[in-house]
This record gives sequence, structure tokens and C-alpha cells, in this order.
Amino acid sequence: MIKMLTACGAGVNSSHQIKDAVETEMKNRGYDVSVNAQMIKDVNPDMMKGVQIFLPINHPDLGFDISIPEIDAGAILYRMPAMAKPVYDKIEEEIKKIQ
Amino acid sequence: MNGIIDFANTIFKPIIDLGAAPIMLIVLTLLAWALGVKFTKALEGGIKLAIALTGISAIINILTTAYQAPLDAFVKSTGISLSITDVGWAPLATITWGSPYTLFFLLIMVILNLVMLSLKWTNTLDVDVFDIWHISFTALMAMYFGANLLVATVLILIIGALKIINSDLMKPTFNDLLDAPDDNPMTTTHLNYMMNPIIMLFDKIFDKVFPWLDKYDFDSAELNKRIGFWGSHFAIGCYLGVFIGLVARQDPKEILTLAFTGGVCLQLFSQIGSWFIEAVEPLSQGVTDLANKHLHGRKLNIGLDWPFIAGRAEIWAAANVLAPIMLLEALVLPGNHILPLGGIIAMGVTPALLVVTRGKIIRMIVIGAIEMPIFLWAGTLSAPFVTNVAKTVGAFPSGLKAGTQIAESTKEGPIEQYLAYLVGKASTGEITFMLYALLALVAYVLLFWWYSKQMKKRNAEYAAAKAAKEA
Repeated sequence: MIKMLTACGAGVNSSHQIKDAVETEMKNRGYDVSVNAQMIKDVNPDMMKGVQIFLPINHPDLGFDISIPEIDAGAILYRMPAMAKPVYDKIEEEIKKIQ
Repeated sequence: MNGIIDFANTIFKPIIDLGAAPIMLIVLTLLAWALGVKFTKALEGGIKLAIALTGISAIINILTTAYQAPLDAFVKSTGISLSITDVGWAPLATITWGSPYTLFFLLIMVILNLVMLSLKWTNTLDVDVFDIWHISFTALMAMYFGANLLVATVLILIIGALKIINSDLMKPTFNDLLDAPDDNPMTTTHLNYMMNPIIMLFDKIFDKVFPWLDKYDFDSAELNKRIGFWGSHFAIGCYLGVFIGLVARQDPKEILTLAFTGGVCLQLFSQIGSWFIEAVEPLSQGVTDLANKHLHGRKLNIGLDWPFIAGRAEIWAAANVLAPIMLLEALVLPGNHILPLGGIIAMGVTPALLVVTRGKIIRMIVIGAIEMPIFLWAGTLSAPFVTNVAKTVGAFPSGLKAGTQIAESTKEGPIEQYLAYLVGKASTGEITFMLYALLALVAYVLLFWWYSKQMKKRNAEYAAAKAAKEA
């Protein structure tokens, strides 16, 4: 199980779209993943513990450094498969590296 | 003719009598199914909306039941009349999505967007179906105060068109704030950015009078890190509960009950919010697919929900600093009856401040504090309407005493709420209100026109800077 974290304004809309899309797509590609959707202002070093890939919308200024791979997942929000595919490919690449 | 109406009544009356949650379950499921979503997936969405409505109703019940008596005591012991419970955005969004009218206004906005695209009035395709609730809220509010469906529709067509034009005007600023390349298509038609014209007005005054204040700008990310969990939902619920309990002179046991009840309700509101977003998901995908089919690969900007800039720390630093300021203002502001609780982290206020000031944090806080009364008064004005919608969709507990009201202290689009109120009242035929509504609409459009000129100047500067860099 690969653990990922995504975040948006309220932790309700955009981040959940990314969570659902990534979980579905990665399941289709044969990977066991879990994406946690959070309010970005609540993201802290504690929350990052155990997370293997960070999936923000654009690069955020969190006030601390992140040591895990960060993949911009914003393109998933366009709802167009051709634009989301590069994001999924990058995620798959990182998963392969971890495994 | 009568036969047809009778026939329609025999079929539809029992369904309508079932209440809002079952109606929306049926309508959303069928609509998503018709848009090509698998039936089980469509049904999943429909059921999620129904349970979200039911869940929100239960939490509103817990919150208002626990807080009504202490809020009354609060009013008695302080003489400050703050009796409206601030439930934050999630219940308002849920109950607005519980109204079948929202689907009609969604259709109107999709048509408006496609027409504007085909006339080349805009370059933005709005795929943020979920946030249509803000437009629907405005229209329903106008109707509550007396407008008919046609007048309400015209009102949201005006607001909707300006909103879409605004997303084009803001696009270069978003690229600047995100340090994004030109081919990045992210923009937004979110209603909160319709405060930009007013903020721009204050920003210009700031330029003339207090430009020296900018040198006190501080590191926003550092501030947010220090505030830590104190800014999260449950913590805010807890300490506002303690505050209300203390001022209302409750005993310690009661104060702690208030604190934990506040914590659990604020936490659960956002939790439940995510359920009905999944309910709208099939609809969003369907609308996007449909729009794309008709655009034949034209390259467009894409209108998203606002948080693609939520990674900018200034949004949260300003919201954190504005929270206690808002509380103080609410206590002393004449005509305000809402005590900030669920809406106290003002994320319906600060994104627009970020866009206009481009991250000058002191300006964001000062202008935010100045414009806050506009939000508090709008929250007060909308309370009878919000309470009424909650009752209509069956999301309001029946056991509460008459006069109990809910609203949101920092609902996006406060100006649009005043417009809705005036246009609604004007529709009842009163001459004074017709005059006010007309003047307000003219002022609204003129201020936007002035703002768009400023933004075009800004965008020309961006283009010139880019050209200079490439040369």
C-alpha cells in the first residue's frame, strides 16, 4: 500500500477530486494506493509522517521542507483524460521507484 | 388541459411530498445516468447527496440546540444581540444543492458560458460545477425576498457574465502568483473574487496614503506554522465554545459541553461536505465532456474551484489574523446579529485579497478588516432566507424555538447578496426599492468596469515585462 497526501483549500472539493481520480486510476493500473485529502493549512510535518508521495495543486509554501517526492496533481482537475495522464504516469513512475 | 395537470399531479405529487432529499436522489441519479454515467455510479452519487442532507440536518440540530440557550444568555448578559448561529459554508452549500432550482441555474450558467465562448467574449471554460451553488444561493435569495424566477435568472446572468469575464482578467495574476508558465490553463470563476473591485478601490487608496506600511510585511508561512492546530476546525469550535460559555456565565460543566459540541460540529460539517461533492462529481464530468465536445479542441483556460492558489501562505496567514479581528468587530458592529463561529476562518474573504494585493500581507489584513462589516451585515441579512431554505429542504430541526436562525459570517459574494435583496424587494413593486435596485446594479457594473480597466493595465505590464525578458 502506497500512501499519498493531497490538499486544497477546505480539504473538501479539489483534493477529493484528486483523491478519487488517483485511487481509481492507480487501481486500474494494478497498484494498491491510498490518498489522504486534507485542508492545506492543516498539513504539518507530523501529518507527512508515513506519506510516500505528496500530490499538491501547484507548489505550496508550507513553511517546512518536504523530503518525499512531490507531484503537481492540479491537471487532474481539468477533467480531461489527456491532461491528467502525465500526472498519473509520473505517479506510477514514483510508485515503481518505491517498490 | 386540466386532465394533464391532474395526471401530472398524481405522478409527481407523491414524489414531491417525499421531501428534498429523496427528490434530489432521484433527479441527480437520473441526470447523471442520462449524461452517460454508469447507473450504479449515478445512484451512488444520488444516495450520497441524500445522506449528506440528512447528516447536515442532524449536525445543525446538535449545534443550534446546544448553543441557543447560551446565545440567549450571552445577549442578556452583554446586551449585544448576536443570536444567529454561524454554521460556516458546508451546511449552506448542502442545503442549496438540496434545492432542485440549483440544477436549473446550473443549466443557465452552462449555456451562458458556452454562448460567451462562441462569441469570443471569454476564453474560460468553467468546469467548477460544484460552486454553482453560490449563483443558485444568490438567485434563491432574490426569490425569497420577492423576485420571480425570470427576474432572478436575469440577475444571475449579469453576475455570471461578469464572473466569467473576471476569470480572464485575473489569469495573468494567477500565473504570477503561482510562478506558472503561460500554457498553464488554471483560472477560476469563483464568486469570492467578485469582491476584487471593492478591494481594488481600497488598494488604490493604500497606494496613495499608506505605501510605507508594506515594508512591515512578514513571513506568512512562518506565522501559520506557529499557529499550528489552533487554526483547525475542532480547535476553533472548542475555544469559541469556551468564549461563549464564559460570557454567557454558564457553569464549568456547561462550558466544556459547549466547547466539545462546537468542536465536533465544525469538524463534521466539512466531513459531510465531502460526501455531497462526490454526489455532484458525475454531473461535473458529464457537463465538462459535453462542453468539450462542442469546442472542437479550441485552447482555453479552465475555471476551477478557488483553492489552486491555496498553497500561497498569505491566504491562511491573513485568515488567521483576521479571525480575532472579525470577532471583535462582530461584537461592536451596529446592525450585526451574527456571532462568528463556523465561518471564522475567512477563506471566502482572503483569496480575493491575495489576487488584488498580490501577496502584500499587511494590505490583505488591513483591507480585510475594513471590508469585514460588509460580510457580517450580509450574513445577518441572509439569515431568514438561509433558515427558510434549510426548512424547505428538511435540514432544519423542528424542535427549536421560533426565531432561531442560521447563516454564515463570511459567505462569498456579500455584495451579490445585497443585490439579491434589493432586486427581490423591487420586484414587489415598491418604487423606492426599484430605484435602489437600479442604482445598486448600475454602481455594481460601473465599479466592475473601472476594475477591469485597472486589471487590463496590470495585464499589459505583465505582457511588457515578459516581452522585455525575451528580448
